[in-house]
Amino acid sequence: MSTDYSIEAPVVRGRLSLSEIEELVAKPLDSKPDKKFFIALSISGSALLIGAVCLFYTFYYGIGMWGNNQPVGWGFGIVNFVFWVGIGHAGTLISAILFLLRQRWRTGIARFAEAMTIFAVMCAGIFPIIHTGRPWLAGYLTPYPNQHGLWVNFTSPLVWDVFAVSVYFTVSLVFWYTGLIPDFATLRDRTTSKIKKTIYSIFSLGWRHSSRHWQHYEKAYVILAGFATPLVLSVHTIVSFDFAVSILPGWHSTIFPPYFVAGAIFSGFAMVVTVLVFVRKIFDLQNIITIDHLEKMNKVILATGLMVGYSYGMEFFIAWYSGVPFEQFVFINRAFGPYAWAYWIMVSCNVFFPQLFWFKKIRRSIPVMMVIVILVNVGMWFERFVIVVTSLHRDFLPSSWGMYAPTLIDGGILLGSFGLFFTLVILFTKALPVVSISEIKAVADGAQPAHHRGKLNG
Amino acid sequence: MNDGELTYHKKDLPSSISKIGMVLLAIGVILGVVAFFVDHSRAVFNYLIAFAFMISIGVGALFLIALEYVAGADWSVPIRRVVEFFAAIIPFLAILVIPLLFNMGELFHWSHTEAITQDKILQGKAPYLNVPFFIIRVFVLIGIWSLFYFFFVRNSKMQDSTKDQKLTKINIRLSAIFIPIFALSITISAVDWLMSIQPHWFSTIFGVYFFAGTVVAALAAVTLATVLLKENGYLHPAMTNDHLFSLGALLFAFVNFWGYIAFSQFLLMWYADLPEETSWFLQKWEGSWAIFSIGLIVIHFLVPYVTLLSQPAKMDPKKLKFISVWLLFAHLYDLFWLVMPGMKQLSGGYSFSWIDFVFPIAVVGIIILVFNMKAKKENLVPIGDPKLKRGLDFHL
Amino acid sequence: MADKKIFGVTALFNNPDAIISAANKVASSGYTKWDVNSPYPLHGIDKAMKMKPSKLGFVTMIFGLSGVVLALLLMWWTMSVDYPMIIGGKPFFSLPAFVPVTFEVTVIMATVSTVVAMFAFFFGLPRNAHALHDTDYMKKVSRDHYGIVIEADDPRFDERSTIEFLRSLNPLSTEIIYYPEKERYPIFEPRFITFLFGVAVVVSLGTYLMLNKLMYIQPFNWMDDQAKISPQSSSTFFADGRGMRLPVEGTVARGFIPYPFMGETNPKEVLSNPYFPTKANLELGQRKFLTYCSPCHGNYAEGNSRLAGQFPNPPTLHSDRARNFEDGMIYHIITNGQNAMPSYASQVTREERWAIVNYIRVLQRAKNATDSDLKFVKVE
Repeated sequence: MSTDYSIEAPVVRGRLSLSEIEELVAKPLDSKPDKKFFIALSISGSALLIGAVCLFYTFYYGIGMWGNNQPVGWGFGIVNFVFWVGIGHAGTLISAILFLLRQRWRTGIARFAEAMTIFAVMCAGIFPIIHTGRPWLAGYLTPYPNQHGLWVNFTSPLVWDVFAVSVYFTVSLVFWYTGLIPDFATLRDRTTSKIKKTIYSIFSLGWRHSSRHWQHYEKAYVILAGFATPLVLSVHTIVSFDFAVSILPGWHSTIFPPYFVAGAIFSGFAMVVTVLVFVRKIFDLQNIITIDHLEKMNKVILATGLMVGYSYGMEFFIAWYSGVPFEQFVFINRAFGPYAWAYWIMVSCNVFFPQLFWFKKIRRSIPVMMVIVILVNVGMWFERFVIVVTSLHRDFLPSSWGMYAPTLIDGGILLGSFGLFFTLVILFTKALPVVSISEIKAVADGAQPAHHRGKLNG
Repeated sequence: MNDGELTYHKKDLPSSISKIGMVLLAIGVILGVVAFFVDHSRAVFNYLIAFAFMISIGVGALFLIALEYVAGADWSVPIRRVVEFFAAIIPFLAILVIPLLFNMGELFHWSHTEAITQDKILQGKAPYLNVPFFIIRVFVLIGIWSLFYFFFVRNSKMQDSTKDQKLTKINIRLSAIFIPIFALSITISAVDWLMSIQPHWFSTIFGVYFFAGTVVAALAAVTLATVLLKENGYLHPAMTNDHLFSLGALLFAFVNFWGYIAFSQFLLMWYADLPEETSWFLQKWEGSWAIFSIGLIVIHFLVPYVTLLSQPAKMDPKKLKFISVWLLFAHLYDLFWLVMPGMKQLSGGYSFSWIDFVFPIAVVGIIILVFNMKAKKENLVPIGDPKLKRGLDFHL
Repeated sequence: MADKKIFGVTALFNNPDAIISAANKVASSGYTKWDVNSPYPLHGIDKAMKMKPSKLGFVTMIFGLSGVVLALLLMWWTMSVDYPMIIGGKPFFSLPAFVPVTFEVTVIMATVSTVVAMFAFFFGLPRNAHALHDTDYMKKVSRDHYGIVIEADDPRFDERSTIEFLRSLNPLSTEIIYYPEKERYPIFEPRFITFLFGVAVVVSLGTYLMLNKLMYIQPFNWMDDQAKISPQSSSTFFADGRGMRLPVEGTVARGFIPYPFMGETNPKEVLSNPYFPTKANLELGQRKFLTYCSPCHGNYAEGNSRLAGQFPNPPTLHSDRARNFEDGMIYHIITNGQNAMPSYASQVTREERWAIVNYIRVLQRAKNATDSDLKFVKVE
């Protein structure tokens, strides 16, 4: 079966009509949740519950319940934070960057990906909040009027993080909500339930599908996408600054910003693929979230995986080239020291296994791609673990060397974050349309008037 | 649909183009030879900058071709030949590099064996920074680039007559393989030619930095040529300003990317304040180099950012022509800023010399001549490409 | 239905090309208060309706630039003026370090202002009471139809001719839209008010309980209860139940070097005098001597103080024995005490003791002055 490059692949398969699309996407919202839904919810809910219990222990007994200690003062807290922020990036990339690049195939997956971003950022945000040990006093971290006349340190990357992640969360939420408004209007106009109608009416703000409004709306969408793009790059860049502004070998490396961003997109797309494979099956959306979408995402995973591999190689080369013994030691220690097992999990999951995506058959095979993308997420979690732990546990002075071991509470909170994420995703699938109804209608066959020329030789 | 009336007819470029190219090349060569005798060191350093500029244009163009295939872009198909003609300078790099290889001692401190015996750090780098391995790397890279160039262009040209879709498929596969190789090779070039001038300094992002500047320069060259050729009717008549918009948008995006990479590199080294890293930046802050450095931010980031920000500006032929020339100059400026403060005579500050303008003239001449040579032999539009019609139909 | 007020007339289409050409016709017909409704944005409808380009970008630009200014102003004021601190050896106004926050503030201001301005000012939303809501027209254009609506407010509107005009565009159907009769979402409905009241009660009660009760229970107790031993409290850790303990034998205060020869009657070694007999030192020594030593040893160290005869006489310090003492031995006697003389270590500091020693030397020299000494004095 050879491709014909002269025709553009349809974004929506199966020649669905506009009302068929609407029915397909809105169906889960009309029906009561079934047994499978409750089984899935109970699994993720249990994970969430375990996390909540571990959090309770943490708050009652203190941060001593975690594994953080000298010399590894940053442990699971920051690893999990960076992990979840990274996963969030895929959503904005699919939504904003693919929009600016005019890749129409993003339409089927943008809504879901944006939702995942918001949930992932919520999971990420938990960790800075809880790591103080007494998060109910978190107000004291803000620049409130105080006797010492103290302000926050605006030159600290941790403060930059606060700004970056909160702006990212807000803009993602605004972007997502703006996209939802026309869908709320559509849902409002098709529902028969009075309560649902009230709720949809409120959230739709009274949207009337007016073309005069669509004009400004499209402009706003472009502006939001245009800002969201540098924003998403800036967020993980600033997260990388947490490490790179230090002088610690293995952390202070100028390539960290693009390396972290590439890694974020890498893990984010892997998570999107993981979830979408289930969603498209469960909600019968195979004609909207097609195998072509999955294949394209796998290509992005391959590309960003290569970027991550390039960064590993470049760091290693420059560590040798620099001649700095501490730098050289860090890399030898990573590969052959006491945490070598973590390092090799990272390298095999991030560099070796994704290479299978060079093969079209594997890119289009659901079982194989599921394995690979889950391994990618495992590998990316371990990448953050390796970066944080190996650089801290053995730095300049051998007399300061030590080991780090996470506690069960650490693991429980990590499990809980996954529980929160998947619970939110599962609830989302029943509460809101997982595909942007208006956007997908706009790219369906026959939805737009016949081509008209752009300005000729203007 | 645009069937029927609007088809491409090959129109030869005016003979004045080759004349301009030859004049520029002649001026550049003659003045260049004079420069070698007047101020040998200055001439060699400027030659290096011009050579790096040519790598940027040629290999950057090759990258753009591969990117188009891999991304499945259609708007760029009508102009792909323009990009291919810029990539055509790659095989010539093998000859152009030779004067540099005879002057390595002038350029590279690490190529002096006595210097290495005195310096423990350089001894550590010697397995990589030694003359024989360096030369091997140079020619291997030029060879690999030339090989990919040859295959891309051969398939593209063959498609003009056979219209065989399999050739697109082959080129897509080649592109996918090329891109990682490009990443490694452009990094090695950057490390070898530009970073090793200060052999004690190192930065893991340097390869990405050179890549960013390279793509900006290649895009600028392609944009300039595309706008000029389109205005004068040499490209497909069905092309519109909407096609230009994509070029403008990409230029804007990569200007931002360059700014981001440049700022990251600076911020991290400034923040940690380690002398082994800051020395490189401090050298670019000595005397008048400080103004030069500020100038880099203004010229390479602020002005292009403001110019290309609005939607209409990205598709305005006049603005695009202006900003393309500006950005080509900006990339040259960037390379100059990277290299020249490392020259001993200029360590206290920049002092003007006519030699700084000689080799860019020659480079422009060479590129024009090569472009013209290819344009004579081949269609300026890939008429056999299956995506051509879709690409021409592209609108915002 | 003569009482009903007309909002406008609508026409429905189900073909995107049809709506574009229809919109074109309406735009050239002279009507101004009209609109097209579609479930998604249609390509080319802006041109067909002859709409002017959106000015939303200006809002973005203004607020974005304000964001830059505000962020830089905030950081300049807090970090360079109000409470400057040297952090990492960097200048108080370090622009590179201010860039990330400036960028983030710019983005949030530009994006949020754009969206809020668009919905609130450009659209006048939220507005669920519009006449088009809950009409058959709205339901259709929300799903898979396209529609044109011409409002009655338009100066050229006339019920019959406008409908005729719309029919001339070949729609699927036309409809007259009337303003709804009653308000659909009454705010002062009793149930809603009760609900609001209930919410207010719950929120205030909850806040009160949280802030005044919960925030003082473990673990939210502001570190009231800590496991450490406070001063003057008892302790179950020690057998005697006391929290406050004496320092361990041999404890030395920080920065304090103990006098090594304490308690020795005949020290084998003594310290050497680190102080020069400068004018200031001797004046100090004189003052302290007169205060602490003269009551027993006399003002001139001759041993003839008013205490003589009351208890073992303090000796003269001009004896050969005393004159042959090393400075350190005199220091030792002051510090350690000797025979009936107690230790004066708690009354005179170490420096003062050495000053006294120097002054004693002055007295001793004065008592046994040589001719050359006297000559020196006469010159003075």
